[in-house]
Amino acid sequence: MQRNNWKKLIAAFVAILGIVVGWQVVEPQRVSAADEPTYTFATNNTFEPFEIQDSKGGYSGKNPGIEIEILKKIAKHEHFKYKFKPMSFNGDLQALESGQVDAVIAGMSVTDERKEKYDFSTPYYTDGVVMAVAKDSNIKSMKQLRGKTVSAKAGTSAAIYLKDNQKKYGYKIRYFDSSNTMWNDVKTGNTAATFDDGPVLEYGIKNGVPLKILTKKPINAQPIAVGFQKGKNLALQKKINDGIKWLNDTGQMKQIIDKYTKDTKASKTSIDRTFMGLLEANRGALLRGLWMTIELTVIGIIFAMIFGIILGVLGIVNNKFANAISSTLIYIFRGIPMIVLAFFIYMGLPNVIGHKVPLFLAGIITLALDEGAYIGAIVKGGFESVNVGQWEAARSLGLPYSKALIKVIAPQGFKLMVPSLVNQFIITLKDTSILSAIGVMELTQTGTVIISQNMEGFKMWTIIAVIYIIIITLLTWLSNYVQKRMA
Amino acid sequence: MDKRYKVQVKDLHKSYGSNEVLKGINLNVKPNEVVCMIGPSGSGKSTFLRCINKLEEPNSGHVYVDGYDIADPQVNINKVRENIGMVFQHFNLFPNMSVLDNITLAPVQLGKMDKDEAQQAAMHYLDLVGLQDKANANPTKLSGGQQQRVAIARALAMKPDVMLFDEPTSALDPEMVGDVLEVMKRLAQQGMTMIVVTHEMGFAKQVADRVVFFHDGDIREQGTPEDIFDHPQQADTKNFLDKVLNV
Repeated sequence: MQRNNWKKLIAAFVAILGIVVGWQVVEPQRVSAADEPTYTFATNNTFEPFEIQDSKGGYSGKNPGIEIEILKKIAKHEHFKYKFKPMSFNGDLQALESGQVDAVIAGMSVTDERKEKYDFSTPYYTDGVVMAVAKDSNIKSMKQLRGKTVSAKAGTSAAIYLKDNQKKYGYKIRYFDSSNTMWNDVKTGNTAATFDDGPVLEYGIKNGVPLKILTKKPINAQPIAVGFQKGKNLALQKKINDGIKWLNDTGQMKQIIDKYTKDTKASKTSIDRTFMGLLEANRGALLRGLWMTIELTVIGIIFAMIFGIILGVLGIVNNKFANAISSTLIYIFRGIPMIVLAFFIYMGLPNVIGHKVPLFLAGIITLALDEGAYIGAIVKGGFESVNVGQWEAARSLGLPYSKALIKVIAPQGFKLMVPSLVNQFIITLKDTSILSAIGVMELTQTGTVIISQNMEGFKMWTIIAVIYIIIITLLTWLSNYVQKRMA
Repeated sequence: MDKRYKVQVKDLHKSYGSNEVLKGINLNVKPNEVVCMIGPSGSGKSTFLRCINKLEEPNSGHVYVDGYDIADPQVNINKVRENIGMVFQHFNLFPNMSVLDNITLAPVQLGKMDKDEAQQAAMHYLDLVGLQDKANANPTKLSGGQQQRVAIARALAMKPDVMLFDEPTSALDPEMVGDVLEVMKRLAQQGMTMIVVTHEMGFAKQVADRVVFFHDGDIREQGTPEDIFDHPQQADTKNFLDKVLNV
């Protein structure tokens, strides 16, 4: 009876694994193209009007943004295919450096410093930094900023400008990863002023962000272009440059840019802003994000269990060397914050191994190592808390160590571990949200993207939080049921 | 080693840190012999017993069982243990399996018998200890006396030539002790070689071929039950027997 339950549970687990892995394997084939090359572009998901994601987290809407439209036209004209990796701007640059992407198209301004590190296409736009404050703010000029906090997105030319002038004006700088959160911080009064790209802010204000721009003439006006890894992807560079020339010559470039900065056609149609309306409008994106979260959790837990059991067994065997390996690995991976581990695997490792780590794989490795270390400690503790008399009885019958472990100790140990393991599974589910930092489109990242379009921070984060609570409640019920059946 | 003996122990030493628990023990056990070891707690009798199947690692000396020196690293201790049954004070039944599975686990896992044979054998031994009706019970649901009898059946299922008993009745309620001793008596009558650490003086008197008195990490005195119980030669022995018999 008991054994049958376990078998069923394991069978269900394997079935889920099979479906998920199968889906993963089949998925890329669906998008595989004919003979045209496919390039991957890092972009900034909250960078209006250059990039505007639709509610599905893609760019297939009518107004996908200036750079998306430019790239779409160029790709068609120059015969290549493209994929996007939407991330924070900092993430874009790191992904480019590590070769995760072929180019960055994210309203990237051309600076002397960047020219040393990257190659750039022909510029297609001139952008400058402007300063904005809350609508009801008394601040009129930069001189009033002494002692106050100002903000810019990390790694942007606005950030460089702020750093260069910090002594002169005496403000404190706070860095953000996305315009949306940064503007919100000004709105709520945490920061006195924000420095951002002119068109981005203009577009945001036009769409209802309650800020006002104080700068008359953009500071540090700089050209915007596509960035490439220095000396690499020369074929792509040529294609992009040829395409830009063609767009300029045919007048299409001006048409696209004007569409987003001059008239109001690009501004959003009014949407239903109630909870139900928002839920309905973003249902597809939320479900996809939820599915990705579940997928990461299930596959992550499976590999974390494998890694954890190995660590746990190494930790209890009668071998000093194995014990040392176990405790060292547990120490290291429990000690590293998961976000650092994720950055290290996704953006650090490619520099050493020489090729990219696929995003999903990087997420799974991160979960397996981090959660696996915790599970290793749980497994070790579970095995150790089995009465030593059980070992002695098993060994006295002539059972070798491995058989005593597998047949007698492990089943009892796992029973003791169940509550801690369930707890760890719930933590794993929540920890998948950390992977949004490297751009995995799971539930949290989906939320970030949606909010970057509709600015409904409060309502959207409430929705996301409730979704997490619901699935965690379901998981808890399931585990209570399993534990009751096992007892 | 001497072929006449089933178990032969030579100059066995065991220390925990600076605490010397066994101070050079010599003991020979003939086939079919029942040896009862008595003595105050902490005198080293349990440690000595556990050295015979290497649950404790001796510091020096030799323990020959069936001709194999368990102190020799070349000897496969698992093989030697297959022939030494052990019964523990706290039974140590496996709570994650039924009574029947407790008994069949080792014979099946070690390839001694196939599953059917092992189950038949298990039923035979359960019959021997009077618990055939408990075959499918969960061991944690049994009384202490029943658990200990299952533990004896489990050890017997490996068909050992020597049985070690480590205070098998000490953890039992008084009314359970009789059943367990009865089973052990029957085993002795069937010719099993047995080494028993016990506080049951009645059992030792009645069943033992030889009684060994441990004191302070050493064998202080040994002999037939009459020698030890009726005519003890050593002051320590007299002292101990006075304490345990005149309560």
